[in-house]
Amino acid sequence: MSAVAESVPARGETVSVEEQYDDAVQQREAATLGMWVFLATEILFFGVLFASYTICRVLYPLGFAEASRHTDMLLGTAETAVLLISSSLIALAVRAIKLDERRPAVILMCATALLGASFLVMHGFEYHDEYQEHLIPGIDFQQTGPHVRAVELFFCLYYFITGFHSVHVFIGVCVIGTLAVRVARGTFGPQRYTTLELAALYWHLVDIVWIFVYPVIYLVGRSG
Amino acid sequence: MSEDSKAPHTTSVARLLWILLALLALLALSAGSALVKLGVWNNVINLGVSVSKTVLVMAVFMHETEARNLTRLASVLGFVWLTMLIGLSLFDFVTRSHVPAPW
Amino acid sequence: MSATAHPELSVRSFLARDYGLLDWLTTRDHKRIAILYALGITFFFFLGGVAATLIRFNLVEPQGAIMSAETYNKTFTFHGVVMVWFFLIPSIPATLGNFLLPLMIGARDVAFPRLNLASWYLYIGGGLFTIAALLAGGVDTGWTFYTPFSTMFSNSNVFLVVIGVFITGFSSIFTGLNFIVTVHSLRTRGMHWFRLPLFVWGIYATSLVMVLATPVLAMTLALIGLERGLGVGVFDPALGGDPLLFQHLFWFYSHPAVYIMILPAMGVASEIITCFVRRRIFGYRFMTYSMLAIAVIGFLVWGHHMFVAGQSVYASTLFSLLSFIVAVPSAIKVFNWTATLRKGDISFEAPMLYALGFVGLFMLGGLTGLILAAPALDIPLTDTYFVIAHFHYVMVGGSVMAYLGGIHYWWPKITGWLYPEGWARFAAILMFFGFNLTFFPQYLLGYEGMPRRYFSYLPEFQLLNILSSAGASILAVGYLMPALYLLWSLRYGRAAGNNPWDARGLEWQTSSPPPKENFLSPPVVREPYAYHEAAP
Repeated sequence: MSAVAESVPARGETVSVEEQYDDAVQQREAATLGMWVFLATEILFFGVLFASYTICRVLYPLGFAEASRHTDMLLGTAETAVLLISSSLIALAVRAIKLDERRPAVILMCATALLGASFLVMHGFEYHDEYQEHLIPGIDFQQTGPHVRAVELFFCLYYFITGFHSVHVFIGVCVIGTLAVRVARGTFGPQRYTTLELAALYWHLVDIVWIFVYPVIYLVGRSG
Repeated sequence: MSEDSKAPHTTSVARLLWILLALLALLALSAGSALVKLGVWNNVINLGVSVSKTVLVMAVFMHETEARNLTRLASVLGFVWLTMLIGLSLFDFVTRSHVPAPW
Repeated sequence: MSATAHPELSVRSFLARDYGLLDWLTTRDHKRIAILYALGITFFFFLGGVAATLIRFNLVEPQGAIMSAETYNKTFTFHGVVMVWFFLIPSIPATLGNFLLPLMIGARDVAFPRLNLASWYLYIGGGLFTIAALLAGGVDTGWTFYTPFSTMFSNSNVFLVVIGVFITGFSSIFTGLNFIVTVHSLRTRGMHWFRLPLFVWGIYATSLVMVLATPVLAMTLALIGLERGLGVGVFDPALGGDPLLFQHLFWFYSHPAVYIMILPAMGVASEIITCFVRRRIFGYRFMTYSMLAIAVIGFLVWGHHMFVAGQSVYASTLFSLLSFIVAVPSAIKVFNWTATLRKGDISFEAPMLYALGFVGLFMLGGLTGLILAAPALDIPLTDTYFVIAHFHYVMVGGSVMAYLGGIHYWWPKITGWLYPEGWARFAAILMFFGFNLTFFPQYLLGYEGMPRRYFSYLPEFQLLNILSSAGASILAVGYLMPALYLLWSLRYGRAAGNNPWDARGLEWQTSSPPPKENFLSPPVVREPYAYHEAAP
């Protein structure tokens, strides 16, 4: 029943409506609902790691405190700040596109992607330091002390959590970078921005996961 | 055809930046308080800060697409289910009693 | 439509034009994707069935008749992995759900057709990869992958198989996501929530479970893979990790998974029973609330798989109580199906035979589930054939019978042809008989103490095992029959017409097979199961 309906665009392209939808509004609402459902699945996906962490920490509070002190709190805090800032930038970018401010949007999106990349770089430094301190279970783990097994358990979780998270950051950086190019080319505009909103939602999720990762990895037992 | 039935709703730049400031302040709070020995309150503050940051990100940064009741429900469902997983599993672990071997 | 018409040659049919393989493999039409899924599901069912046949052959002798103990372990693992993840979980949702959901709500397709196709590729790819790993070396841990055996001690293809299942899990997640958004967003004008057929409610509830449970499985399997690859992990007892942590995470998915298997079956049963009793369902709202209740409460009962694993007695008590509670909505549904039948005008076409068989066998399986939900009874019965009998009653006597009932009921709609009714009824009755002969003795075996997953058994159990294996061979014949006569009907069957059952529901208001866009004119929406009125 619905054909591809277009109005004369002011700036930015119009959206084409797929044939199962009656109109663009219905399509957009379906897309955003779909994205939110996907985010719920991601919460549960990461949630398994948080559940494992919670249980192990309840079982070995002292060991986890000691292990956390081996992590780099400065870098961890910086990484958190970077992601929080990038979240605000992508929100500003989506706002800019809706207001037809294409150039600011491109800059904001590129800045988001760059901050995301810098997160990965900082994390790379962390991994490098941990490698040098022999803190990689299964590959090179040489620690001593009364809680050494719990420390090893902590670091298993640390690599699992930050590893999966970093993969998600990397995907986000690639997607936002690609979309920034398409914004610059004029593909998106006030008439058509759902894809950007969905990408922003994904990026906010990546941020939220890290919001919880930060204290459980970097802030345990810091007061010694 | 436009994706919104009316002009797209946007949050002001000022509001977004104030929220960012609040987020960074919360970050400083959790980092700072972690260096002080507060016992169980360290955990309470850290968890509280994380939840607050999440609420701010979801309510403000993600607001436009969360405006419908339906998407609001979808947004919390994951957290609720995760709470069920962690809660009931933890209940098992903390209620175990140690039965010492007879020898 | 005349008996000699060829519906699929009708220009508008979704089967017409675009006959090429590539057209099918790049389709976005939910109806074609449903058929692609049906082919895969039939293939995997056959493979899982071969494994079952080998198991039952071997159990004819107390010391094993045809294979070594190691091979036996790999065989029952193969059977479980394939039947659970590649047959039962996708069966009704991916085939009947995909085909019917848009039709039943008056939509032109699902919300995300390309995602739908991607889900199929994930299913097939993950499935073939897993089968390859299961055949080339195999896995001997059981489909439950308990640690530390799976992570540390098993010398088998655990790593590869968990990768395969991990991939397939995303097929489930994306299908569930697609269906949820479809039901929320694409209902046609007038199709309010409480006018939806119960099949749609069943698929919707199932999709909620798929979306919330499967990610947990995915990460848990990833953790197994990582632990095997790295040699350390959170389940490793040497580090202080707890094998029970794995079980909590695994069963958090795997118990709701059984509700993924049964909720669509319940939806199918409601559709068939109302049609062949010519009445609306008794207690429509209670039926919908029950399905949602099962979906939600079903997430809170997983610890009943762990009563003897070392779980705390308090947690066991809580899980037991919740398991009793989750039986209530299921019981409500059984009562309501029965009440729907009362003083009705019942006819016993093949779909109805399957549906009635479903209700009875599901009820028996569910009651034995209640027995197992009581820790005091579960402790001697767990890991015996009693448990095997219980879950086969609900999964095979329940889900598979409902699946076949649905296939028969909607076969005319999907293909445009009628299957041979006489053969279909005979096959249904043969299946019912074969099923009970196979699995009822297993209740007795479990009660007597025969352990599950054991290659050999005490000689006094042999008679019941032989009866069970005899039943399995009858059941196998029962399953082969539809494969044959359904195919036969594609060539020699009579044309079905739009509504051969004079059923209600929007799917019957369009042609058989439906056109690509589902409806040529907007369907008439009324209250569900309006059998007291004429069809529109």
